[in-house]
Amino acid sequence: MNRRDFFKFGLGGGGLAVGGGLTSGSDKRPSSSSQNIHGHPWWVKKIRIPKLAVDENVYSRFNARKNVFGSFSEYYKMENRRELMRKSREKRIKYYMENRAGYRLEDRALADAAWVISRLGGLNRGTRSWTSKSVPTPEERGVERYKGSPEEATRLIKSAARYFGAATVGIAILDRRHIHSQERGKEIVFELAAEPYEDEEKLVIPYKCEYAIALSVQMSLENLQRSPTAISSAGSSMGYSRCEFLVAGLAEFIRGLGYVAIPSVNDLGSSVAIAVDAGLGELGRTNRLITPELGPCVRLCKVITDLPLATDNPIDFGLLEFCKVCKRCARACPSNALSFDDEPSFQVRGEWNNPGHQAWFEDAPKCLAYWQESTSGCSTCIPVCPWSKKDKTMIHEIVKASSAKIPALDTFFTTMDEAFGYGRQKSAKKWWYLNLPEYGIDTTQGKG
Amino acid sequence: MVYKGKYTVFKIRSSPWSIWLLRVSWFLWLLFWAEFTIGSWKELEQRAFIISLIIFLVSLFLGLLLWLWGYLKFKKVKS
Repeated sequence: MNRRDFFKFGLGGGGLAVGGGLTSGSDKRPSSSSQNIHGHPWWVKKIRIPKLAVDENVYSRFNARKNVFGSFSEYYKMENRRELMRKSREKRIKYYMENRAGYRLEDRALADAAWVISRLGGLNRGTRSWTSKSVPTPEERGVERYKGSPEEATRLIKSAARYFGAATVGIAILDRRHIHSQERGKEIVFELAAEPYEDEEKLVIPYKCEYAIALSVQMSLENLQRSPTAISSAGSSMGYSRCEFLVAGLAEFIRGLGYVAIPSVNDLGSSVAIAVDAGLGELGRTNRLITPELGPCVRLCKVITDLPLATDNPIDFGLLEFCKVCKRCARACPSNALSFDDEPSFQVRGEWNNPGHQAWFEDAPKCLAYWQESTSGCSTCIPVCPWSKKDKTMIHEIVKASSAKIPALDTFFTTMDEAFGYGRQKSAKKWWYLNLPEYGIDTTQGKG
Repeated sequence: MVYKGKYTVFKIRSSPWSIWLLRVSWFLWLLFWAEFTIGSWKELEQRAFIISLIIFLVSLFLGLLLWLWGYLKFKKVKS
């Protein structure tokens, strides 16, 4: 009996079962980790559609050029940006001179080096090529392509994804509105084609690619707790590099089975929207995904494929209610970019947000400007989230389960989380003396 | 006595069920904080570790003090 089962059937379960009656939702059925090794904890409910509403008349494909990275100079004004860059350069030198922990040469070298694999890919480039075949196809092996049932194929995909480094995996029918309308100056279109391809004007995804495999990769909480320093930045960049390896490996695996696979990290479309559909987590106050197992301490990526798969449901673990009262990320945000609104809304904060869905929209240019100002990026909203926890003590599982079942306790949990010092910035200098496991993460976390 | 010197005999003082409930609750309370303390230490959460350690030690000390007080009272009544 593992810890989850202990809570489910033992002491914790008894108490929580009483609270379970307080929550609503008649079309919800509990997921079970014992039935499915890739399932969520028992207190996570599967639902038919994501909790935050979508306005079907408004929500549409987003031009990637409009995101904050694509149009920062426009949103922040070029002259402001130049001034920001100048200040950032001065600050960098000042920090070097002061030998400030977290901003020293070794810290910055680590952060930059951790990008190394991520730099090998881009939209249909390098490791994210849509057509690369570095493994023999079934044809080349002289056999038929894989013919298993969708359920069997899903089991293979989820096991392979975990093997390539995914923390959690979910499958959804691809909602084409999540795919960017344009990127890298080219249109992204869906066509009746046998293989994906790219020409001078467009990138073509075959219509038959109906499935999206949403993947999360765990980031090192121990690194992110040093935000905003280069040590924290190394946590993010390592996450991206591991995503790169994951999607490249999984795409080649699918091609090896004889199907089309389009690997993607932050390019191509919204990984967050796909992950919500595939039941990896819920959309939080940060307007990013929060998972029940690892909170927001994950990087997301995805693979689009024509391999028939069994899909997962969106999930509800009480996050919406929790984010309404918690607001720790908004209070901790050094750039004041996050919303303090009690309720999520359809009201976007600027052109960088894709309208037509409910969310707590963020002021992305403010956030990105602070990345420059801090000289080493920022991920403060991630470690301060009470859902970001290592699971070395039972209390976190008890709190998460209780929050999912009894939302009335959320305020108490948030207060206690702060009182016990979770989310406080840790010493960047001490990071170098820690005896951390591989990649700074515990790969067994959230696996029961 | 035939068994003399062959066995170690533990004597458990009979107490009302409410006292036993209190003892079990105290033990579970200690167990919870001990687990939390060890877990926080493993998680490198310094503040959580210190707070939980203090709560554990204070609970342990107060419980032992209460137990000792009861024991001394019992001894006094017996003598």
